[in-house]
Amino acid sequence: MNQNTNHVESLVFQTKRLSGTTPEDLNCLHSLLKQSEEILRSESTRFASSLADLDPSKHSLGYLYILEACTAGTISKELANELVLSVARFINECDAEQIRLAPEKFISLCKRFKDQVMQLESPMRGVAPLLTAIRKVQSSPEQLTTLHPDFLLLCLLAKCYKTGLCILEDDVFEVDQPKDFFLYCYYGGMICIGQKRYRKALELLHNVVTAPMSSMNAIAVEAYKKYILVSLIHLGQFSTSFPKYTSSVAQRGLKNFSQPYIDLMNCYGNGKISELEAFVEENRDKFEHDHNLGLVKQVVSSMYKRNIQRLTQTYLTLSLQDIANTVQLNSPKEAELHVLQMIQDGEIYATINQKDGMVRFLEDPEQYKTCEMIERIDSSIQKIMTLSKKLTAIDEHISCDPQYLGKAGRERQRLEFDDFDSVPQKFNM
Amino acid sequence: MDFSLLSDAMASKSYHKIASICDDLMLQVATQGIAFHDEWPYPIHLLGHLYVDDINSARFLWKSIPSSIKETSPELVAVWKIGQQLWMRNYAGVHEAIRGFNWSQEVCDLVASFSDHYTKKMFDLLLSAYSTISIQDTALFLGMNEDDATNYVLQQGWTVDPDSRMLTVKKQPVVKEQKIDPNKLQRLTEYVFHLEH
Repeated sequence: MNQNTNHVESLVFQTKRLSGTTPEDLNCLHSLLKQSEEILRSESTRFASSLADLDPSKHSLGYLYILEACTAGTISKELANELVLSVARFINECDAEQIRLAPEKFISLCKRFKDQVMQLESPMRGVAPLLTAIRKVQSSPEQLTTLHPDFLLLCLLAKCYKTGLCILEDDVFEVDQPKDFFLYCYYGGMICIGQKRYRKALELLHNVVTAPMSSMNAIAVEAYKKYILVSLIHLGQFSTSFPKYTSSVAQRGLKNFSQPYIDLMNCYGNGKISELEAFVEENRDKFEHDHNLGLVKQVVSSMYKRNIQRLTQTYLTLSLQDIANTVQLNSPKEAELHVLQMIQDGEIYATINQKDGMVRFLEDPEQYKTCEMIERIDSSIQKIMTLSKKLTAIDEHISCDPQYLGKAGRERQRLEFDDFDSVPQKFNM
Repeated sequence: MDFSLLSDAMASKSYHKIASICDDLMLQVATQGIAFHDEWPYPIHLLGHLYVDDINSARFLWKSIPSSIKETSPELVAVWKIGQQLWMRNYAGVHEAIRGFNWSQEVCDLVASFSDHYTKKMFDLLLSAYSTISIQDTALFLGMNEDDATNYVLQQGWTVDPDSRMLTVKKQPVVKEQKIDPNKLQRLTEYVFHLEH
């Protein structure tokens, strides 16, 4: 008992002594803390009271180990509130360099923090701290941490969609766990859908669907459903053929899990609004069950737009009455409002002549010679160049990797062996 | 809760900053575990989103407000009514919703500024979408009576045909900066050169 008290005191003392002087001292403290994990757990209450002695911004590493140990057990509801507050304060004040020495501890602490705010049913309490935590623990904005999906989930639950957008703008190049990536893209897709940024949403959902996977997973299935819907809303079409780099599991399995959505897409392709409405009504339960009914309704209303857009390819001028007839709207006035909305959203270029009840369709007025446009072209080229350089670097890195070379060498041998074999092996069953 | 940033923005009429100030503050306050709902300036926060045309964020904010607050604040409900009309693109309905409530001292200027902003936006929309439009519809879009609306657009060079009560839109040429920085041009030339050789 006494010995333990001493141990607690000495560890707190060492934390104070070795924090923030030199890297060697910090490393020394780190190994000391690692050795003391057992006592940290068993004496966690005693350590908890010693936290008041430490400064989270100066003694971050020691503070982190103690706080992590204190949160390990089950936590009563009364204590949860206190705990959430102290972890939030720690995340805010801690020194990024120090906590990056023990990222797994920091992440485990943040995960528990997330669980607690969810249990307290106030997800908004975790939004700002988790964003800070991500920025502190990641070594560069290109790194996807396992906290990314947690942060996005809290944003969704707290309805802070706009806040969620900020990390979606970073391009991700480093991923540790496949699951993190799947969830990041799926939740990110949902955030972009909520903010009606369909292009970005499509990009994220596309990443889920085409990511390497060895077995089917629920995230990919749900993402595929939303991918179909958003594609119809934004592009007016969907192709069921997958890009070459899609895993074979996804290519074989995804469609079977999303049959109503494939049917919806086929129905959409016919361009008949009444048929589409009837189909949606018939399958309402299925879409509702998937929480996709709202998106499905947007698909239906996007069909008017699609049909009007199609008209612009054939006609230069058309009467509002004709538009209403062709796209199955009730009155010329309704057609006028649809055209107006599309002009407002930049989806078509046209002018309405109310006097004659006519619409004149125009060409895209963009002449690609304003400064703004040049700026955009230039920055796009720059971005692609950076990406290409990155790819070359990764490619070079892989082609020097002994493990890869060993494997690729063996594969090639087998292939050559196959080439000489008159009957391919897979038929030899 | 420290609302000084918000009151500064309101005092200096920097209304476009309100939404993000309120968003940040709300996250901060929530992190500190403060029960903020009862004192939160929801009408201003909601209007802040509408002011910068962020109807999506306005909708999510509305959804996150506890129903007890919605029931006790008629002004909040009135702001959301504007939001609903915007969401449904009921152009005339927005003006009606603005006029249909006796706004309190705090939000009165903000609402007036939003209303001006919205009227200008509607005028730009008419300008880009119509070649001719009836006086009656113009009045609805601009939220004015027919005489005021006619005067408003006549000042912008539109013409009126009294017999058909139709207005002819005068398109304004949009001037955009076309002068290019020589460095930019040089860089683009290099790209093309690189691609062709």
